[in-house]
Amino acid sequence: MKAFQQNLSKLEAANAQVLGVSMDSTFANKAWADQIGVTFPLLSDRLGQVTRQYGIYNDKTNMGRRTTFTISPQGKIEHIQVDQAAINPADTVDYCTRPKLKT
Amino acid sequence: MRKWICSLLMLLIVAASAGAQMAAPAALNIKVGDSAPDFTLRDQAGKEVSLHDFRGKTVVLAFYVFAFSGA
Repeated sequence: MKAFQQNLSKLEAANAQVLGVSMDSTFANKAWADQIGVTFPLLSDRLGQVTRQYGIYNDKTNMGRRTTFTISPQGKIEHIQVDQAAINPADTVDYCTRPKLKT
Repeated sequence: MRKWICSLLMLLIVAASAGAQMAAPAALNIKVGDSAPDFTLRDQAGKEVSLHDFRGKTVVLAFYVFAFSGA
C-alpha cells in the first residue's frame, strides 16, 4: 500500500481512485494507515464477502490473495494483477496513467 | 442397463470437472471486461465507502493480505 501512496499523485492526476481492501478490522487498518502514512481508503472486508465476490478468497488458507483490479469509469474490469505481480504497482500505475487510445 | 451406465458416466464427468476446478486455485473467476461487483465497506475512519461512489473515475482496487505485512 505504501507503493500506491508513493504513486498517489500520479494516479489522482489520471482521475484514478485507489482503494485498498483486506480482511482486517477497521482498527487494524486505521493503525496501519497512520503508521505508513496511507491517505486513501483502506476498506475492511472483515467477513471476506467482497474477497469472495471477486473470486480471490483462498479456502485452503482462509486468506485473500493479493490482487489489484483496475476498474474503468464505467465499472468494467480493465486490468488484473495477481499474487507476486500485484506487489509492485508499477504496471497498474502505467496502465492508469498512459494515454487511452480509444475513448 | 444402458441408461444406468449413461448416468454413471455423467456423474463421473461432473465429479471430474468439479475436482479440476478445485485443483486450480490460480484461475480467477473474474476476467477483464466483466462488470466489477459493487460493494459497500467501511474505511479506516469507519466511513462507508461503495464502489459506485466512484463512477466516472478509474478505480484501483488493491486487495492486500494483512495490514502490517509490508509492501
